[in-house]
Amino acid sequence: MSLAGYLLRRLVHGAALMLGVALLSFTLMVQFGPDQTFELLGKNPTTEDIETVRENLGYDRPFLMRFGDWLSHTLRGDFGVSAANGEPVGPLLGRAFPITLALVLPGFLIGNVLGLLLGMLAAWHRGGAWDRLVLGGSVAGLSLSFLVIIIVLQLLLCTPYGLNLFPTRGWRVDGLGSYFYYVTVPTLALITVSLGYNTRFYRAVILEELGREHIRTARAFGAGGGELLFTHALRNAAVPVLTRLLYSIPLVLVSGSLLIETYFGIPGVGKIAFDAITSGDQAVLLAIVVLTAALFVAVQLLADAGSRLADPRLGSS
Amino acid sequence: MRSDAVQQLWRSRGWRFGLGLGLMLAAIALAVGFGWLGPDGSVGGPQWQGASAAHWFGTNRLGQDIFDRALAGTATAFRVGGLVTAGALVLGALLGAAAGWRTGSLLDEVMLYLMGVLDSVPIYLLAAALAFALGGGELAVITAMTLSFWTATARLIRGEVARLRTREFVLSAQAIGLPAPLIVGRHLLPNAAHILLVQGALTFVAAIKTEVILSFLGIGTLENVSWGLMLAESTQDLLAGHFGNFAAASLLLFLLLLALNLMTDALQDAFDLRETAA
Repeated sequence: MSLAGYLLRRLVHGAALMLGVALLSFTLMVQFGPDQTFELLGKNPTTEDIETVRENLGYDRPFLMRFGDWLSHTLRGDFGVSAANGEPVGPLLGRAFPITLALVLPGFLIGNVLGLLLGMLAAWHRGGAWDRLVLGGSVAGLSLSFLVIIIVLQLLLCTPYGLNLFPTRGWRVDGLGSYFYYVTVPTLALITVSLGYNTRFYRAVILEELGREHIRTARAFGAGGGELLFTHALRNAAVPVLTRLLYSIPLVLVSGSLLIETYFGIPGVGKIAFDAITSGDQAVLLAIVVLTAALFVAVQLLADAGSRLADPRLGSS
Repeated sequence: MRSDAVQQLWRSRGWRFGLGLGLMLAAIALAVGFGWLGPDGSVGGPQWQGASAAHWFGTNRLGQDIFDRALAGTATAFRVGGLVTAGALVLGALLGAAAGWRTGSLLDEVMLYLMGVLDSVPIYLLAAALAFALGGGELAVITAMTLSFWTATARLIRGEVARLRTREFVLSAQAIGLPAPLIVGRHLLPNAAHILLVQGALTFVAAIKTEVILSFLGIGTLENVSWGLMLAESTQDLLAGHFGNFAAASLLLFLLLLALNLMTDALQDAFDLRETAA
């Protein structure tokens, strides 16, 4: 099958997947969710007031019709309005997304580069002192909760109990200086929480490559350590590395930002998700779930296409 | 399970240390469950006490002994982690084996689709949705994590069953007329026991970490003492200079996760399983 035909099939799969996610979340949040009638009513409502609100919420119509309605609006890019302040959800998330991206990108990049370097160090000295040190450190790292990391870093860097260099809350970025001021501690937290996982992944990948014939040949031809690791091992490990990088993007953007933005009071997607969770803001939550699923599908497509480009031997299976 | 792998496991210092630490914490959790350890329910003692022989980590804003509460958190961690792990392993083993027995069948396609859908919903959002649907609390959290975590095990078991299915011992079993569920249950799943063991440890770690964060965010357990709730309390304590809650909860949390991670590591080494595609 051609690449185009294959991608088309994947797109259909992706659309079916998103439909499933939409149906699942709509069922859980709206059908089995809380009755919102009285949240929207003032005091002492008349029977007609109640009827009007229920009608506006669509409670008088069958489930499938309501789902179809919501779906058709969503497909046209209309995610409804936030129950918190009546703001349309689309612009709300559109405003928050760049903040989240700016917040998590440095930590994501540095965490992966550091993990790669430490993984290479450990793999190169397999079984030796460096390997044991790196592996031991990564096991300790895996055993730290993200929450504990954030609390400790904030205590050490942002409060009078520690160095008190950075802000505990907020995001008033208007230039490079203020960007570093607000992004440093969250970045350190993101690096710390991911470093253990990253290091072990890169160590395993590099170890597998180092065991291959082409590495032995290159070594026999006199290639040095750096050339072996970066040129021969890393380039051949491009497919798993690329796949993992892509697949972790939705997780970092949504799950990673949720806790850190909540803790540092940063108005990104994670903070909006948290506020929507605690206040039961269905329109916002549904939009975030569906957009996350779309991101997953896009990432899978990209990873697939990328693997095919990097390795033509991959057929159309 | 291969006996050489089991021998290698017992030679590993990480396994012995992790298992010892894990059993110690499990004993604490059991003792809390029987009511021998943990908070005595009294409030109104002197609040914000420093660490002392009577109160190892001091007392909290209600005058409760912090260490007792942290010990009770151990029971919550084991209960939530244990139930999620058991649920995820059973679902993952059964559904994964059903899909892997006939790859490409309708059942397999449906399973793959279902797993794809569940994998596309981040755990925090699924937990929030289920908290709506089930009214919150520990049950919603356990259900959410089970629904989210079984797919990883199912994918691995599906692959292993599909790989083993064409082996001679399976073909012989089919030839003498054994029904498929019996072949899968008696001959295939025992051959994948090492995968279940490693996945169990990994799921346990993920469940405990997630429970702490969900409880901290206020969508986790509400009816029991949890390390996440203690950490949530501690964020206000810290600014006032009280470190007891934070120290006790994060220390026990770290010890339990360390024990499980050391065991996972040793298991992966012994059975030669490594997460290259994680």
